[in-house]
Amino acid sequence: MRSTDERFPALTLAVRNLSRQRVRAGLAALGIVIGVFAVVTLGLLGNALSLAATEELGGLGNQVIVSPAEESGAETLETRDLAAIQRSADGRGTVVPLKVTGGTVTANGGRTVAQVYGTDRPQALFGEGDGSVPAYHRQGAIVGAEVAAELSLRRGSTVRVEGNEYRVVALLPEIESISPLQPDSAVVLPSEEFAAPGFSQVVVRADSAADARAVADEVESRLNGRQQRVSVFSLRSVVDQISEFFGLLNGFLLAIAGVSLVVACVSIFNVMLMTVSERRGEIGVLRAVGIHRSQVLRVLLVEASLLGVVGGAVGALLGTAAVVVTATQTDLPLWAVLQPGNVVVPLGAFAFGVLVALVGGLYPAYRAAWEPPVEALRG
Amino acid sequence: MTPNQKREAESTQLRLEGVTKRYESGGGSVTALEDVDFAVQRGEVVAVVGPSGSGKSTMLNVLGLLDEPTSGSVELRGRPVAGLSPSERTDARRESIGFVFQDFHLLPTLTAVENVRLPTAFLPGDATGRARDLLERVGLGDRLSHTPDELSGGQKQRVALARALVNEPAVLLADEPTGNLDRGTGTRILDEIRGISDGGVGVVAVTHDDLVTEYTDRTVRLVDGVVGGA
Ligand SMILES: Nc1ncnc2c1ncn2[C@@H]1O[C@H](COP(=O)(O)OP(=O)(O)OP(=O)(O)O)[C@@H](O)[C@H]1O
Ligand SMILES: [Mg+2]
Repeated sequence: MRSTDERFPALTLAVRNLSRQRVRAGLAALGIVIGVFAVVTLGLLGNALSLAATEELGGLGNQVIVSPAEESGAETLETRDLAAIQRSADGRGTVVPLKVTGGTVTANGGRTVAQVYGTDRPQALFGEGDGSVPAYHRQGAIVGAEVAAELSLRRGSTVRVEGNEYRVVALLPEIESISPLQPDSAVVLPSEEFAAPGFSQVVVRADSAADARAVADEVESRLNGRQQRVSVFSLRSVVDQISEFFGLLNGFLLAIAGVSLVVACVSIFNVMLMTVSERRGEIGVLRAVGIHRSQVLRVLLVEASLLGVVGGAVGALLGTAAVVVTATQTDLPLWAVLQPGNVVVPLGAFAFGVLVALVGGLYPAYRAAWEPPVEALRG
Repeated sequence: MTPNQKREAESTQLRLEGVTKRYESGGGSVTALEDVDFAVQRGEVVAVVGPSGSGKSTMLNVLGLLDEPTSGSVELRGRPVAGLSPSERTDARRESIGFVFQDFHLLPTLTAVENVRLPTAFLPGDATGRARDLLERVGLGDRLSHTPDELSGGQKQRVALARALVNEPAVLLADEPTGNLDRGTGTRILDEIRGISDGGVGVVAVTHDDLVTEYTDRTVRLVDGVVGGA
């Protein structure tokens, strides 16, 4: 005890003073606990939700789909269109030409209508991060999850698409994210299997959102200069709006949490005001025996900050624990909560809690320390 | 200046010259001290007596650099204190003046030793040893780690006395040092105070108590803020 006494006299005096009114100090710290808890839970949940949603939407925003413009009357894109798109996307992403039609699919005595896609590069479109989808597609059929389930297809099964027989070479994994294509209810064939030569769509999978934007702009300027040859479709703006919504939601949640910290600040202010008015005489004695105003101020501010440190630490720990528990009990993915970037939320909330307590204690401490000692002693 | 006067000036610890203290309040102004001349020498015990409201506590506060006079000068060991900043006054209080308050004013959260070394709390070094010695000297060697609520009134007064001495002050200022004590305990405190002054400290004790005046070298009588002599 003595060595901390010597080095941090303000801390020792502050701790003694707080321990004298445990209930009151506890209640004041509880205000900070609640405020910091609210900031941490709402902040972390908001962050995790928006991360999870962005991840879900991520690929979508990076896709640019180019198809023949209605005004042009064409059903397919010409080779020179494809070349222009390829040049626009050079270094910015993968270009996947796609043929699209509908068809009847039969197998094992079952029958269903499916989307039929023709492409030589199925992995870029349907198998992001999944090794089971081949990079290049030369023969056989790749079957979407729904179609596979309906017709009880496995790898190696035989399937008839519009009268032709194919061996199933791969099954597409069930897709979790939103996509403008519908691979679940589709059959993917190599593009030579289609009679028509042209492609009905070209999908550009850009490396980033910015690349997607650049590709879309460049395709527009290359192909739609004089007349509207192609229509360029990108979900960028939708994704942007969704992100913006999450940003707003986050801000709103944090503002609500912030209000509880303001309340906590007022409660610290109140408690400190009570404490210093009760201890007026004691503070007068400190001044009379030669303790400086700034030293008295330090003692009182350490008291207020201790309430913030304890309340903030408890609030940050409880809040983080609550969000982790929520994530394990619900669909909210845990990885989105445990992002390294999310560490700033409890740390920031803790710091804010301490700051709030300090601000709450500032005026009462100043008033007490600057009161002339004669008056304090008389009171 | 006669040699006698000169010696006296050198040993003067605190001096008031023409000190007037006026309080302005809603009802008008109250003159608590009027043109007071006063000095306390090394090793001298002075009693300040007078009826209630005559300005005794006010005089002690002015002597102890807690309060500033409306006019007149205060000298601490021959140096006027008028020009000192609040921080310098605080230092001067800590270095040169020991207070014993009427109602002890010990910090309830601190033990006897911690209360005694309180004036040194923010100074480098550890005054625990000195605090312990002082408590032993006032007969509280066995109450070192008791808190004030575990001590009797007389014991608290002795802790307060030890605290006043921890910085080896030039002057000890005591407001009603025996006010709350029975005769026996009061005598003990006064014996202590006498001993302290024999060590060279100048003592000013405000009192209503005739017992105190038996222990003092001289008595100053205040009536309505005016020094009326012995
Ligand atoms: N802060 C103040 N404002 C106005 N008047 C004051 C103030 N402090 C003291 N006084 C007045 O100054 C006068 C002297 O007060 P002081 O406390 O010095 O008396 P005292 O001799 O110590 O009395 P007691 O023996 O009752 O303690 C009193 O009339 C008192 O009302
Ligand atoms: Mg008085």
